[in-house]
Amino acid sequence: MSFKRRDVLKAAAAGALAAGLPLPLRAQGAGNLRFGLAMPLTGSQSAYGKDQVTGAQWAVEDINAKGGVQGRKLEMIVLDTQADPQVGINAVNRLISVEKVPVFITAWSAVVKAVAPIANREKVLELSVGASSPDVATLGDYVYTTFPLADVDVTAVARYAYQKLGKKTAAVLYINNDTGVDAAKVYREAFEKAGGKVTVYEAYDPKATDYSGMLLKLRASNAEMVHIHGLITDIPQVIAQMRQLGLKQRVSTYSAGYNPIIVKQLGAAAEGLIVTSLAPGANDRPQVKAYIERWRSKEGRVPNGLPYTQYLYDAPVMVAQMYDWLLKQKLAVNGENMRKALLGVKRFELPMTGVTEVDATHRVKKPVYLLTVEKGNFVPLATVS
Amino acid sequence: MEYVYSILILVGIYVVLASSFNLIIGTAGLVSIAHPIFFALGAYTSGLLAIHFGLNPIAGTLAGAAVAGVFSLMISLPSLRVSGDYLLITSIGFQLGLLQVIKNLELTGSQGGLSNIPTPIAGPERGWIFSLVALAAGAATVLLIRWIVRGPYGRAISAMRDDELAFVALGRDATRIKIVIFAVGSALAGIAGGIYAFYFQYLSPEQFEILASGTMLTMVVVGGMGSTWGPVVGAVLLLALPQAITFLRLPLSYMAPLQGMIFTLLVILFLFLRPQGLVAPEAPAPLRHKKQ
Repeated sequence: MSFKRRDVLKAAAAGALAAGLPLPLRAQGAGNLRFGLAMPLTGSQSAYGKDQVTGAQWAVEDINAKGGVQGRKLEMIVLDTQADPQVGINAVNRLISVEKVPVFITAWSAVVKAVAPIANREKVLELSVGASSPDVATLGDYVYTTFPLADVDVTAVARYAYQKLGKKTAAVLYINNDTGVDAAKVYREAFEKAGGKVTVYEAYDPKATDYSGMLLKLRASNAEMVHIHGLITDIPQVIAQMRQLGLKQRVSTYSAGYNPIIVKQLGAAAEGLIVTSLAPGANDRPQVKAYIERWRSKEGRVPNGLPYTQYLYDAPVMVAQMYDWLLKQKLAVNGENMRKALLGVKRFELPMTGVTEVDATHRVKKPVYLLTVEKGNFVPLATVS
Repeated sequence: MEYVYSILILVGIYVVLASSFNLIIGTAGLVSIAHPIFFALGAYTSGLLAIHFGLNPIAGTLAGAAVAGVFSLMISLPSLRVSGDYLLITSIGFQLGLLQVIKNLELTGSQGGLSNIPTPIAGPERGWIFSLVALAAGAATVLLIRWIVRGPYGRAISAMRDDELAFVALGRDATRIKIVIFAVGSALAGIAGGIYAFYFQYLSPEQFEILASGTMLTMVVVGGMGSTWGPVVGAVLLLALPQAITFLRLPLSYMAPLQGMIFTLLVILFLFLRPQGLVAPEAPAPLRHKKQ
């Protein structure tokens, strides 16, 4: 059988036509309470984005299975951001002007910042769930985070190193991007405020694969503690090259390091690594244990970036509580009232991450869980509140 | 309908970008892929001037275009000595180098991006005014390039592209043409940058990376390299298609890979089935000889 060029063209034209024409929209209940979710479903961050969306989808299923909010169903509209600001802007514009949602959830610093002007202009509530850059708190009236910003856990880990581990000098190695730059400043300030001294303060390029220049400086300085603030893609590489150079200092990082991948990649070199988690673990909360079991039985694995997925599970629960408040107060469903609802409820009781209190400074306070790697497993080290 | 407006604005901006890119790469055959950096220069210049000096958007956008035009010398001067693959490599180096500067300067917001760019217009009219401006800029660019390409200057440009040696041997100045083409193309990208900055109010260095070069190149190639209307068709198609797919309301597990595959599929299909693009370049009008 041979394909004629004409047939192929016909098929391509039919395909293009089908892609261009929106199918009849799926039937939607008139009384559904809607909200948006804009996350990376494709691109380099999709492994994390998709698992977080799964968490949120389960939460919506669970809420609706229990009867929804005052008998009305919660409806989540998910769009892809690719963790890219421009794609994120399109997605959020679409959520606001086509889907008419009064509140939407999003993550990844660049997207959270890029869509903030839209949220403020259109008076629609933006909930950032996962972006940790401290300036997320200053993006405007309609931008709130439900996730503790970097200063919370980095401060905790810096203080712990000085006060509990007795380290007097520290090196800060950080990735030269939004994630690393601000957090490194926070670590230096917190460690020096506690009484220590930061002797090495070095950035590395996000695309770097060789860190020896920076690590030789570290060797020359002989700092007692090393804090690495990067991404899950580069943290193991930095640690591996450190150990190859014979540097034996204890290493700390932050929540990105709380990932089984790191132990798998590093093996024995991961021993003693201190990571943080901003969400309680399976031993801290029975709900989390059940949640992890659900992952194992449904997907056959634990999620990528477990704590983030816990926050994403809790986000629709927050939205449901805000809708509940709104309906009780008999207020119209819009962004302005959603913001009132957020500040009106103020204290949210959440299944996966415990109590979350939203305050006027656009920040949330949460306890920080420190963990360390022992014999290839993450074990609790301390809880700092 | 802010959503529709924002798509229209993007269409306008990308028509300007794809058309001006086509002028450089298609009409003049100067193989540079650094076009996004001129877009960035225009956007950052007008954004920064608005933040720090409260400069009005029209002056800001023109300043952005001027800066982009001046910086184009950094790519047009090397193009006098190198061409083809070597110019391509030079242009990548130029783009990535300048992006590194933007990523590391505190002034440009470094990696975190430039936020808090003031908006010149507030209220419900904002969407349609910006759409009008962006689409007008797109139309003006297409007409300007059409005028350049169709005139005697356009004939000189394509002569230079097709055989530079013969062109120089005829006593024409290839140096000047290259500098002018790069300056005009880059300044137009700078204008697109200004409109972008004032409408979206946030710039991130990531959006001007090699991936952006790829997007613009795809628009030009799919639309039809060297033709006037090709880049317009390419820009509209490549912006509208991903948006249209989201309206299909497919399950997430299909939607995500579909979005990623559509571009690859388009490029491969076009390479095999229609290498000249959707709109083929017009054959040059025959020279009219005066009858004696």
